[in-house]
Amino acid sequence: MERSWPLDFDSADLAPETRAPARPAVPAWLGDWLLAWPLPLAVLALWALAAHFEWIAQQVLPSPEAVALTFKESLLSGELRANLQISLVRVFAGFAVGLVGGLALGVAMGLSPTVKDYSYPLFKAFAQVPVLGWLPLLMLLVGIDEALKIILISKAALVPIALNTYKGIQNVPTRFIEVGRVLRFTRWQMLTRVVFPAALAPIWNGIRYGLTHAWLALVVVELLASSEGLGYMIVYGRQLFQLDVVLAAVVVVGAVGYALDKGLAAIEKRLLGWRKEAF
Amino acid sequence: MAHTGTLHIAHLSKHYEVQGEPLAVLDNITLTVNPGEFVSIVGSSGCGKSTLLRLIVGLEDDYQGEVLLDGQRVVGTSLDRGIVFQEHRLFPWLTVEQNIALGLLNARFTEAEKTQSVREHIALVGLEGFETAYPHQLSGGMSQRVAIARALVSRPEVLLLDEPFGALDALTRAHLQQELHRIWQAEGITMILVTHDVEEAIYLGDKVVVMEPRPGRIRRIVPVELAHPRDRVALPFARLKEDVLAEFAGEAEAATAARHAGRRGDGTRGPDSGFALPNGLRFAL
Amino acid sequence: MARTHITTSLRGGIPRPLRGLVIPLVLLVAWWAAVRFGWSTSPLLVAPSKVWQTGVDQVVSGKVFAALGASLWRDLAGFAIGATAGLLFGALLGASRLAEKFIGPSFHTLKQISLFAWIPLLSVWFGLGDAAKVAFLSLAAFFPVVLNTFEGIRSVPPDLLEVARVLRFTSAQRWRKVILPSASPAIFAGIHLGLIYAWLATLGAEYLLVSGQGIGNLMIDGREHFWMDMVLFGVFVVGLVGFTLNWIASRIEARALAWRGRSVAQF
Repeated sequence: MERSWPLDFDSADLAPETRAPARPAVPAWLGDWLLAWPLPLAVLALWALAAHFEWIAQQVLPSPEAVALTFKESLLSGELRANLQISLVRVFAGFAVGLVGGLALGVAMGLSPTVKDYSYPLFKAFAQVPVLGWLPLLMLLVGIDEALKIILISKAALVPIALNTYKGIQNVPTRFIEVGRVLRFTRWQMLTRVVFPAALAPIWNGIRYGLTHAWLALVVVELLASSEGLGYMIVYGRQLFQLDVVLAAVVVVGAVGYALDKGLAAIEKRLLGWRKEAF
Repeated sequence: MAHTGTLHIAHLSKHYEVQGEPLAVLDNITLTVNPGEFVSIVGSSGCGKSTLLRLIVGLEDDYQGEVLLDGQRVVGTSLDRGIVFQEHRLFPWLTVEQNIALGLLNARFTEAEKTQSVREHIALVGLEGFETAYPHQLSGGMSQRVAIARALVSRPEVLLLDEPFGALDALTRAHLQQELHRIWQAEGITMILVTHDVEEAIYLGDKVVVMEPRPGRIRRIVPVELAHPRDRVALPFARLKEDVLAEFAGEAEAATAARHAGRRGDGTRGPDSGFALPNGLRFAL
Repeated sequence: MARTHITTSLRGGIPRPLRGLVIPLVLLVAWWAAVRFGWSTSPLLVAPSKVWQTGVDQVVSGKVFAALGASLWRDLAGFAIGATAGLLFGALLGASRLAEKFIGPSFHTLKQISLFAWIPLLSVWFGLGDAAKVAFLSLAAFFPVVLNTFEGIRSVPPDLLEVARVLRFTSAQRWRKVILPSASPAIFAGIHLGLIYAWLATLGAEYLLVSGQGIGNLMIDGREHFWMDMVLFGVFVVGLVGFTLNWIASRIEARALAWRGRSVAQF
């Protein structure tokens, strides 16, 4: 569509697609990828310089080479892998419990007004206290071994999953329910063919939030009350002023968090691919 | 040809409770629809025509009077009575053929028969090639055609259409009116169309039921004895249109007069009944 | 799904509005009975009345307010810093594609690092006192605010921007009259989330950087002394504060977004 009035180039958003596109010197995705590097590389360079010239004490800021070296060592010695494994097992166990519990509760509340009447207020009150608020209480009740961690992680996952599942089921548009009624769906057909597909998007959202929170809870609980796992690595590294250990563990924590989220996003694409301009 | 029965509505009335007061929506509706007939129902907003359809299809109950299909009282929904809504209401997570197949979920056919029927109905509405498309990939007109196929695939005795083309542009609407007519002739199913478009009502219907609002009543039934295919610009058609529109003009004049006199015609304060535009076709809300 | 009618008669069982109280009441009675009849000899089993008493003491002596005050000022300070920085940063990323390409990837990577993993690092750089805590809280509020602000600004419908072009808006007008109002639901959602995360982080900060006063410290104290009543009271206070913060945020959102019809931050 050709426009005849002068174009205003104030905002990049309005970059005119009306002009014939100039042949790009570099393909768009490659250009973007290259642009992502200058900042981190600059920071890295600054860091290396700071460590080299000892602008900041070694203990406060170890040099990049030291961190890389530690990373390699700890990787080779299997230490990193062992701790990572422990953390992953924990988070998946806790998340699984929270997932099942959250889905069950959310479905029950969503489908049965009676269940919702009895349990929603209590659930809401329960959800007001963040995971960490429960920590001292649980420590008193179950001590500081695995049970504590699993319970906290599952609580962290359960709340968003239950809430989103409940809301998702509640918000299934009536117009689809009416189609089901006209086509004489049985209760089971209504649930499996209308309610759950329609509620799937918010439910999946809840699951993503749940996993994020579960990972968050895992890190905290390992920082506070554990003798193994990534969180523990961070803590003992900190106490021994071995920041290289700390940084290595932090990097892994970030990488795992990223991988978990990306994994769920990929599954979401598969399941909800139809969701272009659906609702 | 599908097996169709007679739809018999006798002294149908319905009211809602609004803040403790009963609000009459339909009052003493009596109508007979013969097998294979095409009945158009026209009326301005608030005349209860959509409620009438919902009562026939069984989405609403709690009424006085009788609604009989083939002599049987209508209770709840049934695959004998299909409906096409104004929004297509296709399930976004299913393809075109999966959406249509939903209509057969609870029908008593074999798997082979069902597949065959779905394929036939895709062809009937002219959507071959789009079997695996998702609703978001279709235009409004195409989606509505899928909705029609979904309603027809279980071979109902009666097909109800609640302003099915209201949300579409004029060109698509004209095209789909022709399509609907063709399908009606091919299948022979009884059809009841609710619309506010008088031209559409006359183009498609064997008779036009004119309803008036507050409370919803049948004002008049106008038989349409023109041969198909009907010419919208021919004189007989235009005369019929004038005739039907005259009913509404009278209503609009009465409403205007009442407004000038400081109150509504029936003494209540209701939503604006609308006004007649110069071409008489549309009634603003 | 048929609409159920709300009955106030007892014919259908317990009236609907009261049903939410049934389970809590049952639990409370069971708890009281457990103490009264000595079902458990654990020192952890304290009577409900004791918890109540502790609570009253705390309130009357003002101790809980001191602790709460300390927690809240850190929470709100950190939140203010983090949210402001987040708004600016998010606006920068949203407004400039260039900035997004340069800084975006690094930001998204850092965002992945689970929040609490930052604490040990922060404790080395900022010490163990309030400074480290506030820094941490700012971080907690920062990320969600940036993300939502960025999303909000990016989602301004191009149609509206075209109207701005036709009406010859200056840059400032475009921001004030189109972009910010259109992005405001998302921005408010981000701020709401930031508030939630900041409160969550407040507790964590108190556990991990154990110095000074706070409601979290109160609970840690209680735990170390096996004072179940103190811990339970702390849980109650934390829940109450969380609820209040949420409620305030929702009200502000509802007011500011009255044109919208539905609250965005359902979560």
